Amino acid sequence: MSFLQPALLLGLPLMVLPIVIHLINQRRYQTMPWGAMQFLLTATRMSRGFARIRQWLILLLRTLVIGALLLAVSRPLASGRFSFAGRADTTIILLDRSPSMMQKVAGVLKWNAAARQLASALQTVGSARWILVDSDSGIPREIASPDALWELPDARPTSAASNMPAMLQAAHDYIETNQTGRTEIWIASDLRANDWRAESGLWRELRNGFMEFAQSVRIHLLAYPQVVPENIAVRVAKLQRISTGNSGELSISLDFTREDILSAPIAHAEKVARDRGEDGAQDEGRTDRPITFPVQFEVDGARSELTVEMSGSHYALKDHRIALAQHQRSGWGRVSIPTDANRADNDFYFVFDTPAPRHTLVVSDDAQNANMLKLAASISPDSAIRCQAEVVPAGQLATAAWGETALLLWQVPLPVGATATLVHSFVERGGQVLFLPPHEQAGDEWLGVRWGTWIDGRRAVTAWRGDEGLLANTESGAALPVGKLAVHKYCTLSGELTPLATLDGGDPLLARITTDHGGVYFLATTPAHSSLASQGVMWYVVIQRALAKGAIRLAATHNLVAGESSRWTTQSSKSQSHNLKSPSPVNGGGGFGVGSKSVSAETTESLARTPSRIEWHQLAGDQETISTAYAEHQGVYETGGNLLAVNRPIAEDYARVLTDTQIRELFVGLDFVRIDGSPGNDRGMIEEIWRMFLAMMVVAMLIEAVLCMPRRSVTRSLVLSKGAVS
Amino acid sequence: MLPTPKPRSFVDPQVLARLSGLPLFARRPMQGAVSGRHPSAQRGASVEFAEYRKYVPGDDLRRLDWRAYGRSDRFYVKEFEADTNLRCCLIVDTSGSMGFGSGAVNKVQYARQLAAALSYLAVQQGDAVGLSCVAEGLVQSIPPRRNPAHLRHLFDVLENIQTQGETSLVPVLHELAETLGQRALVVILSDFFVETQLLRDCFEHLRFRKHDVTAFQLLDPLELDFQFQRPMRFLDLEGGSSIFAEPTEIVDRYHRALHEHLQTLRHVMVNTAVDYHQVRIDEDYEQVLVRLLVGRTQRRGRR
Repeated sequence: MSFLQPALLLGLPLMVLPIVIHLINQRRYQTMPWGAMQFLLTATRMSRGFARIRQWLILLLRTLVIGALLLAVSRPLASGRFSFAGRADTTIILLDRSPSMMQKVAGVLKWNAAARQLASALQTVGSARWILVDSDSGIPREIASPDALWELPDARPTSAASNMPAMLQAAHDYIETNQTGRTEIWIASDLRANDWRAESGLWRELRNGFMEFAQSVRIHLLAYPQVVPENIAVRVAKLQRISTGNSGELSISLDFTREDILSAPIAHAEKVARDRGEDGAQDEGRTDRPITFPVQFEVDGARSELTVEMSGSHYALKDHRIALAQHQRSGWGRVSIPTDANRADNDFYFVFDTPAPRHTLVVSDDAQNANMLKLAASISPDSAIRCQAEVVPAGQLATAAWGETALLLWQVPLPVGATATLVHSFVERGGQVLFLPPHEQAGDEWLGVRWGTWIDGRRAVTAWRGDEGLLANTESGAALPVGKLAVHKYCTLSGELTPLATLDGGDPLLARITTDHGGVYFLATTPAHSSLASQGVMWYVVIQRALAKGAIRLAATHNLVAGESSRWTTQSSKSQSHNLKSPSPVNGGGGFGVGSKSVSAETTESLARTPSRIEWHQLAGDQETISTAYAEHQGVYETGGNLLAVNRPIAEDYARVLTDTQIRELFVGLDFVRIDGSPGNDRGMIEEIWRMFLAMMVVAMLIEAVLCMPRRSVTRSLVLSKGAVS
Repeated sequence: MLPTPKPRSFVDPQVLARLSGLPLFARRPMQGAVSGRHPSAQRGASVEFAEYRKYVPGDDLRRLDWRAYGRSDRFYVKEFEADTNLRCCLIVDTSGSMGFGSGAVNKVQYARQLAAALSYLAVQQGDAVGLSCVAEGLVQSIPPRRNPAHLRHLFDVLENIQTQGETSLVPVLHELAETLGQRALVVILSDFFVETQLLRDCFEHLRFRKHDVTAFQLLDPLELDFQFQRPMRFLDLEGGSSIFAEPTEIVDRYHRALHEHLQTLRHVMVNTAVDYHQVRIDEDYEQVLVRLLVGRTQRRGRR
């Protein structure tokens, strides 16, 4: 409970007024000689039970009357916790707009319930200023009133995941910058783990930051942790266009995810089990109950349907073939399942195209090495993909086909002058560069990195990054045979690098320069000075992975993760200032694998060449989506001749709900209030309840009046009045 | 030269003058020493025929009714009613509780007025009047006499009454019932704040002794209404402990207790044939006496 006029609560000590008056009255007694003592003694002896507590009841009721009056004029609010805080100076609203907020519980969308309850509660509480933090841009913006949550397109749910720590960081920065007074932060969310990123180190900084504020900052969490186990999400896991003569086929692999009751916090899962009258074992078995539903495919307007029988919480449909029209090389499509509790995860859009040729430029002063490099880059891993490699002398780079090149293999002294600008521009556009040590050192540096001296001696690889990068494990999880690599001679590196593989002794074998878009790698040895050529698996994989990443920018179709492309716009502007050292956000969005363009951060990076998002044209998707928000809403868009499919992040399909303990730990030490919302409940979250106190006061006054009413005594009327004679 | 009558605050000559026209009758035959205006339990020599009685040897032959002998050939003696005076015994409660009064007079002053007026009326019509003051015992007792000089002595005693101590009305009434002799008019002036069952025994004792008992229960208006506006500490006038009470809290229960007592007392009075008068002491005592005298005139004792 909190109060809009808490200052009036200072009058609460007035509640003791009746007691004080009673005590003063007791002190004002009179002494009287009395004859009829026997009746007094009898009356005193009869003073038991209700008669004895009657006066105490009257005193209590009088106290309650004053208390209820004071509470009523203090304008109390029914909320989760008792508080003496009054009207806030600034109220910051963080609204979770992730697709999971589109889930229906008791027939009501979580987002609708959150917006309605937030608007109602905040309108009641009041504030001098309302700030809404956009979950996409993270930019706080002032809104006229909480009712605007209904009207603002920026507040509607999107297909992008929310980043709660980032939004809180934005709120923190706003408070710090504007030096607000007493501030309230209202968060409405369904507590999905992927939105909250509880493992992020930012939370600790946020807690410390909020605790350092001199002004009062209270955080309210309006939580909707309910899960609907019947909800099914569909996702295209792999998409490949397969050529069959003049025509082709699409090979689609689908993932179906059934929202598992186990994804809910334990307490909530138990509650659901209780509601259903089932025990835990039955719950686990319930998701195994097979269900059958149709899956509809739409490829460029042509529809087909497939019936799927699913049991368990996850189901994969592998390599479903859909015939394409003759000569159709690219296009878009959609996979749909029937509407269930969350319509935001019932559709998945995709675009496809014939893979572009992967062109490699090899610049080397060693013909033998150049051949080995060219050989590794020109052998395609897939018959559908054409790979080409061309050895170009350093002096003829200006005339090379940079626009078609995906990978640059460089084994000459680091570029300087116009050549450096040319390579730099290539990287800016998303190209990949792998530098190998030249035989002769010129002492030049590129992006702060320079080659050192050659060191002889057999070395082994002691550590490498298997989680990401060129040496990442395979899709099946198996590690590359990097440990078997023998290095006979290598060149040292100096500069700001991120090692991906390290030799014994600590020198890097493979390192990466952090850039905004393209990839710049340094390999400290050559195939001639190591077993790279003889143990060709690792060498081939490194070259082909770099080539695949570089080829993304050449594709005309891109499958994007909603919300990621909005970051691309920001990065694009950053790139104008050549700030290549700014960290690049990486989010595994769920790639389509070989043959299709990966849905990842690299994809968005490759789109740096594309025009502004404003010029996107919607081909499929929600017609009500405004054009400036295309990148955050699922659908198929066309821009600059490219086809873009935007979908929700994969984490949205598997997101678990944070437990109460996890939530408490995130806000430990802060002034934090959690309120569990109920979408099916029309009652406001916060209501002014002064009427209740006023009614209590009236009732207390009435009871007090009844108790105080001098009862017309029958006995008194029987006592003789003046003049009566028996 | 006759001495000038001493003025008494409790005697109002005008009231006495007005009341003197109303005789004080007994409700039952009295047993007096001389002739008076009250019926006697004995046969006498009045002109009012009473009954015939068979002659027994030893009867006065002058009272033999010869006419009856002539008609019936039997000897009858003709008897006539006797008129006698009465002995009025005034019993005044002088315990501490009788000192209470919220108005101009307290209960004992009121009792003093009633006793003085009754004694004057009785003496005036030739009846003997005695006085007994009761507190923790029989404080003072004056035997009934009918001469006017006795009236002065009685007034002196009334004037000097002091209220104190507890009430020993019950033992004193038993004592007086035995010592008064039979057939007297007993007037009790008290608040009767005693156990009613014990009073029943007293009145039955008096009734057994053929006394005509009249009881004036004197009650102060404040005792009846019990109207106080603030907490009170009540001091017992009869020496008991004090009680601190919130009158508004206990007024109902007080009235209930008082009502029960009065009801029981009324029941006792009716059952024991006591001429019971409940009197608020803010009432004019003349009216109280008028009601008494008129009522007694209507219920005059029969032979």
